[in-house]
Amino acid sequence: MTAQTVQQGDLVTVIGLEVHVQLETNTKIFCGCSTAPADGPNEHVCPVCLGLPGALPVLNEAAVEAAVKIGKAIDATIPEETRFHRKNYYYPDLPKNFQITQYDEPICQDGELEISLEGERHTIAIERAHLEEDPGSLQHVGGSIDTAEYTLVDYNRAGTPLMEIVTAPDFRSPKEVRAFLAELEEVLEYLAVFDASRDGSLRVDANLSIIDGERVSDDGSIELADLEAANRTEVKNISSHKGAEKALAYEETRQKNAVRRGREVEQETRHWDESRGITVSMRSKEAEKDYRYFAEADLPPLRVAHWKDEIAIPELPKARRERFASEYGLGEEAASKLTSTKQVADFYEDVASEFDPDLAATWVADELLGELNYRDMQITDIEGRLEEIATLVELVATDEITAKNAKEVVLRGMLDERDDPETIVDREGLGKTDDDAVQAAVLEAIEENPDAVADYEAGEGGAINFLVGQVMQKTGGSADPGDVNGLLRAELE
Amino acid sequence: MSDDVVTPEDVRHVAGLARVDLEDDEVERFTEQFADILAYFETLDAVPEVDSEAELTNVMRPDEVRASLETAEALQNAPDHEDDYFKGPNVS
Ligand SMILES: [Zn+2]
Repeated sequence: MTAQTVQQGDLVTVIGLEVHVQLETNTKIFCGCSTAPADGPNEHVCPVCLGLPGALPVLNEAAVEAAVKIGKAIDATIPEETRFHRKNYYYPDLPKNFQITQYDEPICQDGELEISLEGERHTIAIERAHLEEDPGSLQHVGGSIDTAEYTLVDYNRAGTPLMEIVTAPDFRSPKEVRAFLAELEEVLEYLAVFDASRDGSLRVDANLSIIDGERVSDDGSIELADLEAANRTEVKNISSHKGAEKALAYEETRQKNAVRRGREVEQETRHWDESRGITVSMRSKEAEKDYRYFAEADLPPLRVAHWKDEIAIPELPKARRERFASEYGLGEEAASKLTSTKQVADFYEDVASEFDPDLAATWVADELLGELNYRDMQITDIEGRLEEIATLVELVATDEITAKNAKEVVLRGMLDERDDPETIVDREGLGKTDDDAVQAAVLEAIEENPDAVADYEAGEGGAINFLVGQVMQKTGGSADPGDVNGLLRAELE
Repeated sequence: MSDDVVTPEDVRHVAGLARVDLEDDEVERFTEQFADILAYFETLDAVPEVDSEAELTNVMRPDEVRASLETAEALQNAPDHEDDYFKGPNVS
């Protein structure tokens, strides 16, 4: 098959990722400076993270623990010995003129992560994951990166612990990439080593190439030689799942168009311009050999393979989803919503242990998450009030208030006015009216509306709804409409 | 020591990586100096190889915040600064 005759369906997209995630530690990776957000520039800096002469790095134990947890979660090998290297390049975001990273002996090797997309499962191989330090942040003042008058540098970020997770070129679509990033973030948050809400906590570089479908075998695998023969672009500056899907969809189309027109895709680095929704060619000064990696002699080697047995990790999202489905009889969608974060899953299990698991699922997955989502809130925003939400579910489970009132009045009031559920129930008079009062309201409604009664007796279906409405009004909405309907029919027989 | 001769192109390349702009005569001068400097490394061949300290592994510190420098202290040796930032020329 020649290039000219290649049809649209015959082009296969191949993507591999380098994902940088910020590890949640109190201090930087090689010094005791805080990683908390600072009020102003250059507040969390010291001789080590400023690269002052003679300063020596000392490794943060918590960063290594986080790396081992990640290694366990992705089923990676933690080698007997692992060490750090210096990656040399000159740019003002690196005060030392080198970045401390790991080169040929990373802390995690040969892992994998399973993703589920449109009901299909894919296993993405993770070639390696290594620890490194984040550079500082630059501001180009008075123009773009090329035209700026000068540069301002803040080293608060410099030395923040990062894990770089490198996948095999196992993705065949931008959608799969998005699903992977979502799954990875979920896993990392379960491990409590990552906070997605932190600014800049996820950064992605992606390699994308287009391969002739003829070179792809039936099981979807592609020979290494074919992968290496294809020109690829590295897309940088991606910072979200959605951004990754958009950037790679753009790049996929751009490359496919080039191939279809018989043009060669240039092997280059491209920058994702989020605001314009395009990738642009980026000059890159360094080739791999220019980084002149060499061993970091100031940091002795690590021997932490045994930590894998000593450090426990919690049940991970995938296992928990499967258990929720079998243990509580939940459907795939509910199970997936209820395991989206560890806090949601823990809360669901608390509620489901006391009340009906189905009712608990409706209340946590639909009502609570729905109302939170509507307010752009997370479950962590109401962490201290989960007891109150459980009380609300109890009020519904024990038939104290109607489900409608519970959601529309109580839950919304709790979120908007920050009152507790009992206060709102009392204030709004939502306690279900006792049977006598409902019965009295039924009799009143019949007496006051002879026309509707006549219509009902004449067989007009709508009349009963009118009478139910009247009773609901008299009871302030606290009666159960189904019960009222039954009571009315009984009276009118 | 080796057959690798330092060429003016090597010097220009390394200078480019370091964002240093060299005049032609500087390139010439540095090419010679580079060769001299690299020759000194031959001296190291005479040093016997020693194993690194085998005991020295897993040197780590607990994840406890320690005092950082005051911003003014951090900036005091910088050639230029502005609004608590280090200030330097444009880079791309
Ligand atoms: Zn520091």
